[in-house]
Amino acid sequence: MKKTLKDLYWVMTNELWHIFRDKGVILIFFVAGIAYPLLYNGIYNNESIYEIPIAVVDQSNSAQSGKFLRKLNATQEVKISKRCLNMEEAKALFMEGKVHGIVFIPSDYHLKLARMEQATISIYNDMSSFLYYKGLMMATNYTMLDELRSIQINRYNAAGIGGEQAEQLVEAIPGNDVALYNPGGGFASFLLPALLILIIHQTLFFGIGMMAGTAREESRTHSQIPDHLHGKGIYKVVFGKAFAYFLLYIPITAYIVGFIPKFFNLPHIGNIWTLFSFMVPFLLAAIFFSMTVSVFVKNRETGLITFLFFTVILLFLSGFSWPRQNMPDVWRWISYLFPSTRGIQGYIKINTLGANLSQVRFEYIQLWLQAGFYLLTASVSLNLVVKKEKNPR
Amino acid sequence: MSLNPLKQVLKREIKMMFGRPIYLFSTVFVVAFGYLFFLTLLNEGLPERLPVAVIDSDNSVISRRFARELNTTPMTQVVAGCANFAEARDLMQRGEVYGFIDIPRDFYKDLLVGKRPEVSFYVNNSYLIAGTLSYKDMLTMSTLASSAYQREILRAKGMDEKAIMGRIQPIVIDTHHIGNPWANYGVYLINVLLPGILQLVILLMTVYPIGLELKNKSSREWLAESNGSLTVALSGKLLPYSVIFIILGLAGNVLLYKFTGFPMNGSLLRFSAATVLFVLAHQAIGILMIGLFPVLRVGISFAALYGILSFTYAGFTFPIEAMPPLAQGASVLFPIRHYFNIYVNEALWGTPFVNSSLSYAAIFLFLLLPLIVWNRLKKALINQNYPLK
Repeated sequence: MKKTLKDLYWVMTNELWHIFRDKGVILIFFVAGIAYPLLYNGIYNNESIYEIPIAVVDQSNSAQSGKFLRKLNATQEVKISKRCLNMEEAKALFMEGKVHGIVFIPSDYHLKLARMEQATISIYNDMSSFLYYKGLMMATNYTMLDELRSIQINRYNAAGIGGEQAEQLVEAIPGNDVALYNPGGGFASFLLPALLILIIHQTLFFGIGMMAGTAREESRTHSQIPDHLHGKGIYKVVFGKAFAYFLLYIPITAYIVGFIPKFFNLPHIGNIWTLFSFMVPFLLAAIFFSMTVSVFVKNRETGLITFLFFTVILLFLSGFSWPRQNMPDVWRWISYLFPSTRGIQGYIKINTLGANLSQVRFEYIQLWLQAGFYLLTASVSLNLVVKKEKNPR
Repeated sequence: MSLNPLKQVLKREIKMMFGRPIYLFSTVFVVAFGYLFFLTLLNEGLPERLPVAVIDSDNSVISRRFARELNTTPMTQVVAGCANFAEARDLMQRGEVYGFIDIPRDFYKDLLVGKRPEVSFYVNNSYLIAGTLSYKDMLTMSTLASSAYQREILRAKGMDEKAIMGRIQPIVIDTHHIGNPWANYGVYLINVLLPGILQLVILLMTVYPIGLELKNKSSREWLAESNGSLTVALSGKLLPYSVIFIILGLAGNVLLYKFTGFPMNGSLLRFSAATVLFVLAHQAIGILMIGLFPVLRVGISFAALYGILSFTYAGFTFPIEAMPPLAQGASVLFPIRHYFNIYVNEALWGTPFVNSSLSYAAIFLFLLLPLIVWNRLKKALINQNYPLK
C-alpha cells in the first residue's frame, strides 16, 4: 500500500515537472483556458441585437398605417431607418445590406380596415442571420397583436359594447408567457455555458495529447516508467498522471465554471456543491478519455491537426442548439462516447436551470461509468505504447 | 520559375503525403466527415415535435381539447401531463421538456361566465432554438383558442366567415423569407459550418507541411530541390493541397446547391470562383502564420486559435454589428466574413456581381499576405535557427 502511494506520487510529480517545462502545454492548459472564456464573453457581451434597421414602404399613407409604423418603430428590436416610395427602392437598399428587413403596407390597408375586412401587411425577412429574422418577426407580431386589440376594442366601443365585455370578446383567454432561465433570450446566455465546458474538455484533450505526443517523439514513454510498473502495474501510472492533470484543473475549472459566469453575468443559479460534485466525474472522464485517445498521437502537434475540427462537432453533439430528440439515432449514440456531451448537458441543467444532483443523475452516473471505462482503456493503450517502444520493429 | 524543380518538389511532397496517414486523414477524411455529419444531423431542416408538458388543473372538455390541439401543431408534442407547477418545472430542469402550459382550475367555468381565465406558458429559453420554436406554437395555440371562442359568438350572431375573420383578425401579416423560403435552420448553419471546417483544415494543413520541414531540419534540402527559389518551393509544396481543397470546396457547393437543394439564386459558377479564392486565401494565411512564427508548434497553435475564431466571425448566428466595436473591427481580418457576404449575395439574394465585388477584392487581398514574411520565412528555412519545441 505504502509502495503504491509512493509510486503514484512519483508518477504525478514527474508528470507535473514535464508539464511545467513544456511551453506548448502550458499555453493550452493555462493561456487558452483563461483567455478563451474572456474572448468569447467579450464578443457576445451584448447578448442580442437591438434596433435592426429596416425599410418601410407605406402606400396606404393613412392615419392607420402611420399608427402601425409608429408602434413598430417603438419596439426595441427594429428601427425604421428608411421610408421608401416603392418596393424596388426598398429591395435595392436590402440588397446593399443597408436594411435587414422590409415592411410593406398596401394602398388599400386603411380602406379594408374601414370596411371591416382583413387588411394585409407584408414583411420581408433577412434570412442571412437567425437574429435578424427573429427580431423583425417578433416586432411585427407584437405590433400586429397590439393594433389588433385596439382596433377591435374601438369597434366594440363604437357598437356600444364597452369595458370588460369588450375585453372578453377580444381576448377571452389571455395568454401569459414566461421565459424561464434566460428571460431576455440572450445569445451569450445560450451559447457560453456549453462553450465553457467544451473549453475545459478540449484544452485537456489537446494538452494531454501534446504531452503524450512529445513523450513518444522522444521515445521516453517507457523509459520514464519504472520497470516494475509495466504490465499489471500500469494502472498506477495512469492514475498518477491523471492526478497531475486533475490537480491542475481544479483551479482552471473553478475559474471557468465558477468565476466566469458570475463575472460576466451569465446565468448562474446552480448550487456550488452540486456543481462541484458534478465536475469531479466530468474531469476524470475527460482526462481518461484524452489519455486513451492520445495513443494515436505520435507527435507533439498531430493531436491538434487531426482532432481540432472535432471541437465543432462535439459542440453540436451536445444538443445545446439542435435538440437531441431531433438528431438521427446514430449521432445520438455516438455522442455518448464523449464526456463533453453529458458534461455540457449536466452543466447547463445545474448552472442555468438550477437542477440538483438527482435531476442530473443520468448524466452524473454516465460520467462515472465513462471515467471507469476510459480508465481501463487508458491503461491498455499506455501499455501498448510502452510495449511498442520496448520492442521497436 | 522553371518547371523541372517544381516537378521535383511536387513529387517529393506527394510522396510525403502518401507516406503517413495523417495527411489524407486531416484533409479528405475530416472535410468529408464534416459534410456528412452536418448534413445528416440537421437533416430535418427545422426541429419538429419538441417535447412540452401540460398542467391541466381544470380537466374539462375545453382544457383537454386545448392539450390535444397543441399536440397537433407541427413543432410540439405533449409528452407529459403534470399535476402541478413543481412537477412541470422538475421536468424542465431535467431537460425532458422545453416548455409547459398551465391551465388553471375552473378555467372552463370562468370562460363561460366571461371572467377571462388566464393561460400561462413557460418556455426554457436557455435552449434558445428549441425554446423559441416551442414558444411560437404555444403562442399560436393560445391566440387560436381565444379567437375560436370569439368566432363561436359571432357565428351565433349569424355572421359569415369572411366578415368574422375581418372582425377577429383585422390585420394579418404576410411573411416572406428572402432567400430561405422555408426558414430552414439547416440552411443557416450548414452554409457556414462547412466552409468553417474547410478553412480550419486548410490553415492547419498549410502550417503543418511547411513547419514540419523546419522541425525535421529538412528545409534546406527542400529549398535546394527548388533551386533556392521560395516561389518554387512553396508552389510545389502547397499545390497538391490546393487541388485537394478546391475539389473538396467545389464538391461541397455541388452537394449543397445541386443535390440537397439549398437555395442558390445567383450564379453557382461565380460563387465557386469565390470558393477557389477562399481556399487560396487560407493557404496564404497559413504561410503568413508559419512565416511569422517559424516554429511548428507555435504556428499550429496560432492557426488553431484563428481557425476556431473564424466560426464566430462569419457572423452568421450572431451578426457582427451586435458585437462591441472593438470586436467588430477584427471581422475584416477573416476571409470567411467576406465569403459569407458573397454567399448571402449570391445564394440567398441573387444580387448582381457589383454588390459583392468589394468582398471578392477583400479575399483577393489575403493572397498578398505571404509577401510580408517572404524574406523572414526564407531565412528561417536556410538558417533553421528556431527552437524545435
